[in-house]
Amino acid sequence: MKSGEESLRSLMVLAQQGDKRAYATLLDEAGRWLSRFYAQKIAPDAVDDLVQDTLMSVHRKLASYDPKRPFLPWLAAIARYRWVDRLRQTYKHEASALDFDVEEEGHEDVVGAKISIDRLLSQLPENQAEVIRLTKIEGHSVAEACERTGQSESLVKVNVHRGLKKLSALIESE
Amino acid sequence: MTTRGFNIDSLVDELEPVKPVRAAPPLLTAVALSIIGILAISMMRDLRLDLLAGEPTAMFLMRAGMLALLGGATAFSVLSMAQPAVGKHHNSWQIAIAFAALFPLGGIIAIMTGDKTLAIASMESVYRCLGFSAITAFATSIPMVMALRRGAPTNPERAGWLTGVAAGGMGAFAYSFYCPFDSLAYTGVWFTLAVSICAVAGRLIVPKLIRW
Repeated sequence: MKSGEESLRSLMVLAQQGDKRAYATLLDEAGRWLSRFYAQKIAPDAVDDLVQDTLMSVHRKLASYDPKRPFLPWLAAIARYRWVDRLRQTYKHEASALDFDVEEEGHEDVVGAKISIDRLLSQLPENQAEVIRLTKIEGHSVAEACERTGQSESLVKVNVHRGLKKLSALIESE
Repeated sequence: MTTRGFNIDSLVDELEPVKPVRAAPPLLTAVALSIIGILAISMMRDLRLDLLAGEPTAMFLMRAGMLALLGGATAFSVLSMAQPAVGKHHNSWQIAIAFAALFPLGGIIAIMTGDKTLAIASMESVYRCLGFSAITAFATSIPMVMALRRGAPTNPERAGWLTGVAAGGMGAFAYSFYCPFDSLAYTGVWFTLAVSICAVAGRLIVPKLIRW
């Protein structure tokens, strides 16, 4: 079942009032939503960790949700923040381990393209977005990114750095 | 209950009712602290003579109004940042800063056209301006930082800058009730410096306190 904005919002309002049953349902639904949100935006075996981190952030930052506003844009802001934070961490992943057949069906229908990670990445200059995709999402080395993009090693590093900085500033932008 | 192998029962067990972060209480607290700053300086030293006479000058009204706008609008942006959402805008600070920038601009023009106030003003008055503005700014920043810590600002660096600008604006607003100088050069240079120092301090200190 896809989670509707209205039902999630109602669950969140109840959760802020201390309703544990509503909160359990909310976290479960939010976890599923986040798994779809992060699909193909990070190595598949890192998705679960990132979903957990995001749910922990949701738990710690419950008070930051404004009950007068829609729920999913709030959850997406928390999710984008955690995602950019994860990208900043230096990690490398075997490109061969990636599996981009992850089910993403219907995600855009539910949340709208405006709050997706693709939308966030699309606001970067292409040379920055491309090296971030290669090195931070697909797990290629800097050398491989140089080879694929034709950029020098130092330029790849500069573009990754600048791109991540810009992503941080754009987290709430549509 | 699990979500992709993650046990959420412990989070559910820990749930306590929470009051959503609201902008009004910390904003009003910051304004109240700014007013306390005005009262404090009126007890330590006299307020401006034009205020005591009940006939504030145009320069005082413009300066105080601009600083109140800068502090209030920027503080509102800061507090809005505590409640993130994709598609939400926290832009009231941009207009306030654009208007406030007229003062340093006017100050530079005044100096270039022969305003001698900077030469007349003693360094003691400058230190008093910077010091008192900074102390009041520190006080007014506390409720803003506390709200940001409860909230979830997604851009801690910008939140830091803006907290400094908002608090600096409120601090300088309080000092403007004492400052005897009405010159555009003095206001453009020293009041701008006071707000700028607070902004830099906010950028350096606040992000460490609000990162999550």
